[in-house]
Amino acid sequence: MRESIVIEGLSRYYNGFLALDNLSLKVRKNEDVALLGPNGAGKTTALKILCGLLRPSSGTAYINGVNVMEERERAISMVGTMLETPEFYPFLTPVETLSYLGRLRGMSGQGLKSRIEEVIKLVRLEEWAKVKIGKFSRGMKQRLALAQAFLHDPPILILDEPALGLDPRGMMEVREILKKAKKEKTVFLASHLITEVVQVCDKVALIDHGHLLVYDSIPRLKRKYRTSLEGVYLKLTEAAI
Amino acid sequence: MSEFEKLKIVTKYELLKQFRRRRFYGALVLTLLAVILIIALYKGLDIPGKLSPLISDSPELFALFVTSAGATIPIFAAVFFAGDSIASEFEHKTGYILFPNPVKRSTFVVGKYIACLTVTSLIVIFAYVTTVIALVGIYQQLPIEVFGSLALALVYANSVLGIAFLYSSALKGSMGATIATLLTIMLVFSVIEVSLIFANIDPWFMHGYAGDSIASVYGVPFAAAFGGGMPGGMEARNPDPTTSFFVMLGYFIVPFILSIWLTKRREML
Repeated sequence: MRESIVIEGLSRYYNGFLALDNLSLKVRKNEDVALLGPNGAGKTTALKILCGLLRPSSGTAYINGVNVMEERERAISMVGTMLETPEFYPFLTPVETLSYLGRLRGMSGQGLKSRIEEVIKLVRLEEWAKVKIGKFSRGMKQRLALAQAFLHDPPILILDEPALGLDPRGMMEVREILKKAKKEKTVFLASHLITEVVQVCDKVALIDHGHLLVYDSIPRLKRKYRTSLEGVYLKLTEAAI
Repeated sequence: MSEFEKLKIVTKYELLKQFRRRRFYGALVLTLLAVILIIALYKGLDIPGKLSPLISDSPELFALFVTSAGATIPIFAAVFFAGDSIASEFEHKTGYILFPNPVKRSTFVVGKYIACLTVTSLIVIFAYVTTVIALVGIYQQLPIEVFGSLALALVYANSVLGIAFLYSSALKGSMGATIATLLTIMLVFSVIEVSLIFANIDPWFMHGYAGDSIASVYGVPFAAAFGGGMPGGMEARNPDPTTSFFVMLGYFIVPFILSIWLTKRREML
C-alpha cells in the first residue's frame, strides 16, 4: 500500500453551507502533507471526516486502504489524532488518561507503562504526570494531546493545528517532535501557520472555501509561482476570494 | 482485542471518573441527611398516630414511609450521574480524544451506563442500609419486604438512567439533559398519570405508578394509610410489583437502545 491516506471527492454541507467541496487528494506513505488554508477553509472538516467524527455529504476516504466510512474502527487503529482544542477528563492525571487510551488501543503491562513514560518525556510533562488535568493550562493540554497521538506509535498522524495555544518555546518543541516523527511516519496536518508548515511538511494542499486550490511539493510551488510559500498562499487565497 | 475487553476498560475508567467526582460523595451525604430527616419527621411528628385508626405503627409502615418519602433519591442519583454522561463528551470536547479510538460508540455508551448504574445503585443501597439500621435500632425487626423494595428501587433507578441517557445523547448540553430528564419524570409523567387516574384509566404502564411498587411491596394498604383527601381513584394506588418490574424495565430498554442509536449517529461538530 503506497498511499497512507486517500480522499476521494469529499463534500460536506452544514445546513446548506458547503464546507468541503469535492476534495480529492492522496498522501503517500511517509509523506508529510499540510492542509493549508485560511480560517473556515474546510481543513478541520476534512480531518474530522478522516477520523470518523463527521460523515461526508458525498465522497469517501481511506486510511491504509481501509474505508473510513465502512470500517471506522479498523481504519482509525492505524492513526494518531489530535483535533481541535483538545480537552481531557479533569479528574484524571496524564498517566491515567494515557493508560486509559493505551489500553483501548490494545496496549498493556510494562510495555504501556514504559511507552507512557516515553511520550510524557517527549512532550515535557514529566513534572505534571501525576497531577489532575483540571489544573492544566491550554498549552499543557495541547502537549498531552500530542502525547496521546504518539502513544501507540501509529504509522499515520492526523493533526489539527498541533502548535495552537503553545508559547514560542512550546511551538518550537512541537515542530522538533514532528520533524523527528516525519522520518518514519506519515504526517497529515492542518495549519494556517506557514512557518510550521515549511519546517515540518514536504507537500502542501492549499484549500479555501472547501475547494482544493493546489496540491504540490513546497519547492515546486515556490518555483512555479516564483515566490515564497507565504506568497503562494496569499496569491491563491486572494484569487479564491 | 475483543469489544468485551474494551467494554471492561471503558467501564473501569468511567467508574474511576465517577469516584473522583465530588458529586458522588455529595450525593452520599445528601442521601444520609434526607433519610435522617425523614426518620426524624416520622417519629417527631408521630406520623403513625395521625393515620387512620386501622393503621398502627409497625416496621413495615416505618420502612414504607421512609423508602416512599425517599423515592426521589433514585431519581436524583440517576440524573446526577447520567445527565452529562454522553452530552459532556460533545459539549466539553473530550470526545475528540475519546472517539478517535478503535472502539465502537455503543461500547462507550454501555461502559458509561454500567458505571452510572454502579454509582447510582451504591447511593440507593446506602439509603436502604441507613433505613435498615434505623429499623433494627428502633423496632429490633427487619421486614423481609425491605429487600423487595430495594430491588424495585434499583430497577426504578435503572429506568431513570435509561431516560437520562436518552436525553444525554440527544441534547447538546449536560444541564439541558439533566433538566429535561427531571421534568419528564417529575412533571410530564406525573401530569399524564394523574390525568389517567381522573379519567378512571388504570395507569399501570406509567413510570411513576410502577415506581410506587417500591412502597406497595410492604403490603400496607395505601388507601388506609394515605388515602384521605386524595382525588378519586388515587386511593386505589396499589401497583403490582411484578407488572411494575417489567414496566420499569421497558422504561429502561427503549430509551437506552435509542440512546445507543443516537450516540452512534451523533457527529463531533
